[in-house]
Parts: sequence; C-alpha cells; structure tokens
Amino acid sequence: MSETHQDSGSSGGDIDLSQFYQIFFEEAGENLDLMETMLLNLNLETADDEVLNGIFRCAHSVKGGAATFGFADVAELTHKMESLLDRLRRHELQPNAAMVDVLLESADASRSLLARHQTGDTSPAAPTGDLVMRIADLAAGNAPPVVAKPAAPVAAPVVAPKPAAPVVAGQRQLEIKVGPLAKPEQADAIAELFRDIPGLGTIQVLSSDRKDFRVFAVDTASTDDDLLDLFTFHVAREQIEIRPAAVMSPAPAVAVVDASHGFFDGAPGAPESSAAPAAVEASAGFGFFDGAPGAPSVHEVSVAVTPVVEVLGATKAVTKAAASQAAQPEAATIRVAISKVDQLINLVGELVITQAMLAQNSRALDPAIYQQLLTGLADLDRNTRDLQESVMSIRMIPMSIVFSRFPRMLRDLAGKLGKKVDFVTQGEATELDKGLVEKITDPLTHLVRNSCDHGIEMPADRLAAGKPETGTITLSASHQGGSIVIEVRDDGKGLSREKILKKAKERGMDVSDQMSDADVWGLIFAPGFSTADVVTDVSGRGVGMDVVKRNIAALNGTVEIDSAEGFGMRVAVRLPLTLAIMDGMSVGVGDEVYILPLSSVVESFQVKSDAVSTVGQGSQLVKVRDEYMPVIELEKVFQVPRFDFDKNSDIMVVVEADGSRVVLLVDELLGQQQVVVKNLESNYRKVPNVSGATILGDGKVALILDTGALVRRSRH
Amino acid sequence: MGMMEKMDDLTAAREYLTFRLDQEEYGIDILKVQEIRGYEPPTRVANAPNFIKGVVNLRGTIVPIVDMRLKFNCAKAEYDSFTVVIILNLRHRIVGIVVDSVSDVMELPPEALKAAPDIESVIDSGAVMGLGSLGERMLILLDIERLMSAPDMGLVSSGE
Repeated sequence: MSETHQDSGSSGGDIDLSQFYQIFFEEAGENLDLMETMLLNLNLETADDEVLNGIFRCAHSVKGGAATFGFADVAELTHKMESLLDRLRRHELQPNAAMVDVLLESADASRSLLARHQTGDTSPAAPTGDLVMRIADLAAGNAPPVVAKPAAPVAAPVVAPKPAAPVVAGQRQLEIKVGPLAKPEQADAIAELFRDIPGLGTIQVLSSDRKDFRVFAVDTASTDDDLLDLFTFHVAREQIEIRPAAVMSPAPAVAVVDASHGFFDGAPGAPESSAAPAAVEASAGFGFFDGAPGAPSVHEVSVAVTPVVEVLGATKAVTKAAASQAAQPEAATIRVAISKVDQLINLVGELVITQAMLAQNSRALDPAIYQQLLTGLADLDRNTRDLQESVMSIRMIPMSIVFSRFPRMLRDLAGKLGKKVDFVTQGEATELDKGLVEKITDPLTHLVRNSCDHGIEMPADRLAAGKPETGTITLSASHQGGSIVIEVRDDGKGLSREKILKKAKERGMDVSDQMSDADVWGLIFAPGFSTADVVTDVSGRGVGMDVVKRNIAALNGTVEIDSAEGFGMRVAVRLPLTLAIMDGMSVGVGDEVYILPLSSVVESFQVKSDAVSTVGQGSQLVKVRDEYMPVIELEKVFQVPRFDFDKNSDIMVVVEADGSRVVLLVDELLGQQQVVVKNLESNYRKVPNVSGATILGDGKVALILDTGALVRRSRH
Repeated sequence: MGMMEKMDDLTAAREYLTFRLDQEEYGIDILKVQEIRGYEPPTRVANAPNFIKGVVNLRGTIVPIVDMRLKFNCAKAEYDSFTVVIILNLRHRIVGIVVDSVSDVMELPPEALKAAPDIESVIDSGAVMGLGSLGERMLILLDIERLMSAPDMGLVSSGE
C-alpha cells in the first residue's frame, strides 16, 4: 500500500533545504523566547530541575536545528550554552547571575545570528568568540571575567535601534517662503495641503520678518517641482521660494516628524523616495528586525561608549539592507492560528452539507423552466468542492515535508562520524495535520540522529559482525487503526540491556535485573540518560529521548521501542488522528453506516455459507485461499438493531492491522470516500472499537472503526 | 468546581431556562445553555445506556444526545416536531439533552429557592440545587453540570 522510496544518503544534497529554513527560524525563535522567559524566572538559590531541563532542551533544540541546516556559528554558540546548561542541570555547578547574563546575551546573539541567516545578510557577523570563551569559562567553574560587565551590553542593543526609527531616508528639510501676498492667509492653504495629503510631509509656520510673507519649515520627501505643482493651486508660482533649510541637528528633526505620517512617506507624490518605506517598516513597524541589524550585544560591549550618532548611522544603513532582503520570504507565508483554520474547515463542512441538500431538493425541478437555477447550483457544487479541497489542504501536509529534511542531515552526519548509511523512506504521501507535523519534526530529528550516531556501527564493525558495510535507516509513516504511526528503524547494533541497566544503577535509578525488556528500554526516556561513551555535538547527552517522549506525550501519542541487540532497533511513534483526512470505505450494517479505514482494507468478497467454520465456543473462522481468519460480525459487536430481516450480512471485508488479518461481516459496501476524522471523545467517552467519527454528505454522523482494536479483540 | 460558581454572586438573582419533562418542570442555569434545536435522529452508538440516543453533528462538532425523559424514567418519550434538544455548554464539553418542551427563561432571587427535601428519586439528590415555587407550579432546579458529569451518565470515560 505504501510506496517505497529509495533515497541513498549520497543523493541527499539535491534536496533544497531552504524550504524548511522558515520552519526552523520560527522554531528557533520560539525556543529562544522560551529559554529567555525561563532564564528570567529562574530562581538562583532553588533552581528547579524541571526549569533547568527545560532551558537545556531549548538550547539543545536550537543547536540541533542549526547544525542540520549548516548554521555553524549558531550551532557552536548554542553547543557551548548547552555544555554550561548541562553542568547546571546535573548540579555540577550552582547557577549564578553571571551565568544567566551570559546565557541571555548568548540567546540574543543567537537570535541576531539567525536573523542574519534568515535575511541572507552576508556582511561579516559580529564575533561571538568572546561570548563562547566566557561561557566556557563559566562552564569550567571559573568566576566571570571582570572585563565584560554584564549590565551594559544588555541595555545597548535595546537602545541603539530606537532613535533611528523616525529618521526617514529621502526626507529633506526645506524652508519655503511665500509672498508677497495681498492676503497672507492665502498661504495657510499650503499648510492645509500638508494636513490633507498623507505622506506629503510636515509643515511648521515660522515667524516672518515681513507681513506680506509667510515662511514655513517643511519636512518632505517630495521634489521641489512636485511641491510647486501643488502649491500653485493656491498661490502663484513666482511667489514661492524653496530652499534647503539651515543644517539642523538630528534631534529637532526627530521631534518634527510625525511617526504616523512617516509610514506613508513615499506614497503617491513622492517618487524619489523608494527606499523610505522599507526603512520605516524595518525600524518602526516590525520590531522583528530590531535584533537583526548586526547590533549583536557582544559586539556592542565596547561600542556602547562611542557617540550615539555613530551608532545611529550604522544601524540605519544595515536596517535598510536587511529590510529589503527580508521582504520576499515574509510575503510567502503567513502564520495563522490553527483554531481559525479549524473554524474554516467546520464552516466549509456545513456549506457542503447545505449544498448537498440544495442539490437533492432541486433534482425534481424541471430543467426547462429552472435552467438558470440549476446552472447556478451546478456551479455551487463545483465551487464548494474546490473550496473544501483548498481549505482542507491548508491543514494537511504530506509526511514527505518532514522526511526530506533528513537525507542531507544524515549524509553530513554519517560523513562526520565516518559511517555509511542508506536512508529509506516509506509512506511519504501519508498526510498529517500541520499542527502535528510541526510538533513531530523535532522528535523525529532526534530519533534519526540517534539511530545514526548510536545505532549504526562503523563500517569495519559491521563487516566484522557479518552485516553489509552500509547501514540502513528507514523512516516510515502509515495510518494504522485510527492512529498515525511513524517508525524509525535501523539495522545497527540495537540497545544493550546490560549497558542500560548498568548506567541506570550508576545514576541511582530504581532498577532490577528482572525487569522486562520493554521496561528496560523505557529507562532511556529518563532525562539526562545516555549510554553513549562520548558526548558529541550530535547526541550522547541523553536529552534526545527525553524530549521525544515529552513532545509526543503532549500530543497524546505513545513511543514504543523494539530492539534486538546486534540487529537493530525500531522506535514507533503512534499519534492519534486529531484531524486527518482519511480514505474511508463506508459499509452498511442493518440501517447503519460505518467507515473502515481504506488503508487497512485488504479485499472483500461475497460469502459462501459453507466457507465459514465454527471452532470451540462459537468463534467463526473463514478460509480465504490458504489462510484461516477469524470472523467478526459487526452486527453483533455494535448491537445493530435489525428491522429488515430480508437483508443479512453476507459480505466479508478482510482487514489488516497490527500485522494480523480478520474478516468483518457487513451487509453491503457503500463506497469509498475521503472523510474528515472527528474526535468523538472531545464531548463523549471512548467507545470500544471506534477510533473516531466523521460527518457524511447528508450531515449525519458515521463512526469510524478501529480496525486495530477489532483485530486485538479477535485474539482473545 | 469551576470559576463559574465562585464568580457567581450568591445574592444576585440568577436566570434559569425552564423545560418540561412529562408533567414536571425543571430549570437549569441559562449560562450553561448554548442553543436550542429541534430533534433530529442521532447516530446510535453501541454499548451506550438507553438514554444516550447517540451523537449528532453540530456544525462540525460531534455532540452526544441524552434523552432526559428516559434518564428520569418518564412514562413516555416520543419524538415529534415539538421535541426539543437543549445544547449545553459545560466545562469543555458540549452535550445535547432531549426534553418535551422549553417553556421560559425566568429570573429567580435566591430567597425564592427552597432546599429540596430528601426524597427517593431517580435523580441524584446532589444534582438538585433546590425547588423554586412559581405560584402554583413547582420548579426543580438542576445542577446540570453535576448531573451530566456523574459516572452513571456514561458521558465521561471512567478514570477521567
């Protein structure tokens, strides 16, 4: 059912990673923000383990992503932060204010480094060497160096960009003299022009030494000619004299420019100021770029004392560059709250049902008389269908989006570790809710990385163990029994029971040698647990599984580990279908309709009464070709009332789940359709053998069968 | 219990939606009522108690429907064009209840409420907040939230 796609590690370089940059930048931003919040709330005396672990995980996630995408500077900095944080959470060091300061600065620095990558800024980055050294110093347990007083740099980046805000490129300060006029009030109309035309600029009446003259101080981006054209509506051209204002210090200029007007500068009537809007947006509108303009805190430690003007100028120049380059990616996507999309999906669902009802009721109409109405309804039909598809597609994205992140990462990683790895993906077309995809990406990255780092052996070891030199990591996704199962498999060395137990004992965890395999594997989910001998920047700190477990539990999912020492390991992540479109097969039982996940349907056929044989206490088996399969009568399982005794269940549907097959007895096959999986449990309790519900075309609810549960039921 | 109870000013009069079940008249806190709809046959759910009629589609949300007449052992429970479903919005849950008819929305000052005497009833006595007298008629005020989240209601998975 699921297509297999072979993708060896060497071809990974073809994939354009840049499409995932945006996701990474967003994630990293969120992680850094979260880290900052936690750092700020950190109680130094009684630091909470949870908080320390949380901060550590943030740094770890950013580092992981940065390394994947090849942002070495960010990866290096966050790796150092991670080392310090790791010692903190192991209680090898006591957190102190200097550490928090350095970490906060590093977060700022990471942010501005990321912003540089995001905008594609190629100018030299602010050096982070000093920060890295300070972190290393602290991590080594030394007191903070006195040179870098932490208080100053924190303030510097915040203050620096601010004064730049109102200064608009292309603005000119002019002095306009109007006269001689018989009625000087005429000139006031000019002042009104500035009030009425947005974007023209600002005007101030200056005192005039002659009664029949008016003098204005004007701040505008428009050319002299444009101004003259405007003014001639009110006064003769000859009576206007425009000249540049006496050179003013920036301060008054800042005071004059009206911020709200500034936004419109460069609007019609100001042709030569194309650079202006970008600069305004960058500095005023989008605080987003505040950190960007290469004002990384570290760098500013020494700069903080230099005259403000200079800092101002530099900031302005860089801001402009950053803004113009950033304009493009920003327009490409918007982030919208999932709840809004959900609402949209529900509303469209209602629309489809209303449309179906209209179509039904209009069927009896005479086409000759109601031609126009019927044409309209046909259009409505098509449009609602398209609309539904588009709306659905907002949320659903194929797993390939996640999967294609990995070949490159694995290639680099395998190269670094000197290993040979093939990467295989299966079920890439499996569609997954966007919300889930976002949250599953990080855990999957950890799992794949773990497989490569810990699972796959060195080529020589593999040959010695009688395995092919090249290891294989398989990533697969499938819909199973109302869940999505994503598996990471490798044919590496697997988990070592003894090693895990030994490590657990060292760490003082409550373990015994009699524990089941499953329980032993479960130990690796403990925070800080790692059996790796060397801590690399790849993995080995034991943070991965901890994060994986947490993130997946937060999605109401489960993680299962299967391992055979020497043969490999399989980690299966099972997520519930909160909202996923599923290909369903609708079947009729009595007067009721149930939906079977099409992915689990193998075949269906008409029963020959002699094909069913009974075993023991009434269990029924049917022989399909050479295999005996248990028969489940849906009518009995769901206590379907039967009013029409002419009908009976004589169609068998073979379904497969969890590796076994059962036969379901139904009355009729009604058709195949895409269904939106709705959660039944949000307002009701769990119903046995049912994984969810969906809404049929007529607005009725149909239950979706949990084939996995039905298969398990037949085993008992 | 939730914020609602705490926020309620005990001295202020509260508004109740009243409905009829057979000959009896009941009242529930109007703030718990989301909307009132006509009855449409729900999709039956297996292994549910008889008073849970099934689930319906409420603008994309799957909502269970409880027939209060069956729950309270009324003599008859017919479904006709007058049968009404009150959609309740309880803490994070939406539930529909089937009643014979909705009568009124009325304001009752706290002094109009009398404590319910201990009586043998199909209703969990804790779910009766009190009795209100409206002239000749008696109004049974239900703590609908408590009633609906009771384990014997079968709406909530055990252990939740």
